[in-house]
Amino acid sequence: MISRRDFLKDTALTLAAAGTIQPLLSWATDPSAPIVPGKQGMILRSFRFLDLEMPPEFMSNWITPVPHFFVRNHMFEPSALNAGEWRLNISGEVDKPLTLSLAELEKIESHSVTNTLECAGNGRAFQNPHVPGIQWQRGAVGNARFTGPRLRDLLERAGVKPTGKQVMFHGLDEVPGKVPPFIRSIPLEKAVDGDTLIAIHMNGAPLNKHHGFPARALVPGWIGAASCKWLSEIKVIEKEFEGNFMKPGYRMPDKPVEPGGSVNPDETHPITTLNVKSVIASPRDRTPLKQGAIEIHGAAWAGEADVTKLEVSTDSGATWNPARLGSEHAHYAWRLWNYSWKPAKSGEFVIMSRASDSKGRQQPATASWNPSGYLYNAVDQVKVHVQV
Amino acid sequence: MCKFSVVAVIMIGSVAWVSGQAAQAPDLPAGDMQAKARTACLECHESRIILQQRLSKATWGKEVDKMVKWGAVVDAKDRDALIDYLSTNFPADKPAEPAPRVPGKKR
Repeated sequence: MISRRDFLKDTALTLAAAGTIQPLLSWATDPSAPIVPGKQGMILRSFRFLDLEMPPEFMSNWITPVPHFFVRNHMFEPSALNAGEWRLNISGEVDKPLTLSLAELEKIESHSVTNTLECAGNGRAFQNPHVPGIQWQRGAVGNARFTGPRLRDLLERAGVKPTGKQVMFHGLDEVPGKVPPFIRSIPLEKAVDGDTLIAIHMNGAPLNKHHGFPARALVPGWIGAASCKWLSEIKVIEKEFEGNFMKPGYRMPDKPVEPGGSVNPDETHPITTLNVKSVIASPRDRTPLKQGAIEIHGAAWAGEADVTKLEVSTDSGATWNPARLGSEHAHYAWRLWNYSWKPAKSGEFVIMSRASDSKGRQQPATASWNPSGYLYNAVDQVKVHVQV
Repeated sequence: MCKFSVVAVIMIGSVAWVSGQAAQAPDLPAGDMQAKARTACLECHESRIILQQRLSKATWGKEVDKMVKWGAVVDAKDRDALIDYLSTNFPADKPAEPAPRVPGKKR
């Protein structure tokens, strides 16, 4: 006997295939899916702690609307954060420690950076053998305009001592059990880059609570974990912070690892910049297509580098054709891309996308394996069926 | 078809209502260690984080030991049985767990 859930799923798929009420499809996929205020249509990887992935077919806007921007939380979001009482402390290897309120931060000259933020674990689900962690597929990534004071200006006010080499961020994530607090550090050189911000706005509005209200670090071109949310403390320190989220967390092996192999923690280094990578937004995997002009499109990004080329293959990688890069671009932002394809025959096709960047990097056919599944960036691929 | 669509829309609509009223994660699978897994893991996480893992027994062992270090309450005598339970129910070769979507449409 068909269950209620199967009936709903089948019904929704039937209606979707008929091209009707697509927006309701997501509601029907799981009766237990919770409403997350401020978020729409996101893939629920975890509700507690909240981890939401953007469906790849949403990647058609250069600026990702906040309701579709991925959420990666290691712990509980701050439960009682009062903007009036919130303070940002700047201390450590500085001449003059500072304490700033949100109102004071808002008065400091602000700067905007359009940045593609990606979780270091995006694509982890595709690692073989599988590795533990949130099983992100393609959408732990988004592109947004972040605005706030430059971190450099705050550090100048405090006066960094010559002994200060790293800048530590402490978030107000609420710690469960004996989990270490979310604290990470970045080198002073990156901290004083003119594009590294203490962001208080995202896409022109105050930060949403899931994205670090009232203030977060924005370390452009680097893995999302560098851009600490719900920032409460900035501390200039003498050497790299060694807490859990710096070591053993968020590190890559110094040398290639045999898939499934183990790594000596002393032979690893902290992950900093993002890889060169692309994702196919449309068509989606297993989509039946009508023969004719088919628009293949998606997004490509490269961390601190610029995307220079996007190629599409419609024959499982045998031949590659240049795609058109979108006109909207910014240094740390992804490029949208599209390619018009007219298949000469019907049948099964594997479509692939491959990005190259200004550092001479190109997406590999197979991503390098590591025990935490970080920085997955193999060429993206979807299988489609073209009908006459 | 028309009647079918109307019924479907009503049912899908009722699902949306239920979503907002009772956001229950699926239960962990039955087994000797189900109750232990509930108390050890679901104190902090919800089940979806466990249901989506596809790991070898050795990797499950490392995960359990890490979580115990971080506060999960697992008696030493239950450790191996809990790892057996997790690796039997969520082995590396099991098909991926489908993930639901929160309500809402593309902007």
